[in-house]
Amino acid sequence: MMDEYAIGLIVAFVAIVITFVAAFREKNDIHRLIIADLGEVSALAVIALIATDLAEALIIPGLVVGISELLALSEIYLVREHLNRPVQQPFRIEVLDTAPTIIAVILVGYGIVLSGFTGGAVAGTGMIFYLMGKKQTERFALVETVSGYAWALWIVAFFIFMVVPEYWFFAVMLAGGAILAKVTAKMSLIGTMRGEKDV
Amino acid sequence: MFELASSSIGGQALFVLPFGDIVAYFSPFTAALFLFALIFTLVCIYSRPEKSMDIVFGTDALYAKEVTGKDLHFRRFMAIACGIATMGAVTSGDVFNFTLFVSMVGVCIIGITASVKNSQVQNTAFNYGIVAMLATIPLFGAAAITLAATGTLSIWELSAMAPAMPWIARALILVGVMGEGMAPFYVAKAELTRAPGAPYVLMIHVSSLLMFLRVVEIILTV
Repeated sequence: MMDEYAIGLIVAFVAIVITFVAAFREKNDIHRLIIADLGEVSALAVIALIATDLAEALIIPGLVVGISELLALSEIYLVREHLNRPVQQPFRIEVLDTAPTIIAVILVGYGIVLSGFTGGAVAGTGMIFYLMGKKQTERFALVETVSGYAWALWIVAFFIFMVVPEYWFFAVMLAGGAILAKVTAKMSLIGTMRGEKDV
Repeated sequence: MFELASSSIGGQALFVLPFGDIVAYFSPFTAALFLFALIFTLVCIYSRPEKSMDIVFGTDALYAKEVTGKDLHFRRFMAIACGIATMGAVTSGDVFNFTLFVSMVGVCIIGITASVKNSQVQNTAFNYGIVAMLATIPLFGAAAITLAATGTLSIWELSAMAPAMPWIARALILVGVMGEGMAPFYVAKAELTRAPGAPYVLMIHVSSLLMFLRVVEIILTV
């Protein structure tokens, strides 16, 4: 009688074998890129089979590496195929002209109350909605700078946890505030991605 | 303070930096690899890019390709990032961190070539990128199987109970590093012939060489 881990591993390996066969048979570049990403997902499934907290901690960096490779390759694909013309007709419906301000204020306020990663996601959703609705041109350099400093503060908080654990409360506050700013900034960038230059 | 499970890995430990049970360390072997990576990173920081020469066919004229401005800055940045990722890979004392740094080296190698405005170079970078993405599957799979079979990822712990790593995990980690370390065959060839290469193209060779040396050490230790 096999245990669950062995069964899961066999299923994941079958999925990986299918992915590899597909990757070797496929000739279209964009399809190969998508198949390679599917393969990465099945690698994450192999990690997830361990089913401990450590596995969860391993999935996040694995996912980040996978997404960064996917982004880099799709950018190369766009440049190589000369697919960098701006989108002609942006998405417009009437509610996007009237609703954004109040909903964005509510979401950003609630996000700040929540703080941390969840709060960043909520506030970021509000920012996406506002920027999509109001057709605002964002100052990308400024937003990116804020995001970068917030990330550095987050790392500083981790070092406080490791080096001087007695100041843990300060580190928690620092990490919560920094990750709020970082996730909000990153998500708000999505709201302005309508095919302008350098976006 | 973490109690080291064995006193030495690949010779006497010169330096250890414990973060919980994840212990970054220098043995004489990895210290040599680290110095090598450091020297080539400094070369990338301080040297001027080479201009590749093209001969105009039928005459004795030559023209030099210039590397300037944004292209230069981006490629230098990616080469330095690649050097730092390589240094991380050779000093890491944790199997998963090693696989992660190897994948990062792959991303940086794509970045080194990506800014070249030449469709052949971009084509090889794209094809290498597909191989590098597929190679992360055996890498992460090897780390996951090691963790599931032994309950730890620390190279110190694994070397104390050696031979601990299942043979399939060893095979997978080797296959993964081969996939990521394939860059000189794909990217560097196109770079050398089609685009102004040195010193950034050197970093592609150095990082893949150091990854191979380090993975052999890991496979023999654990």
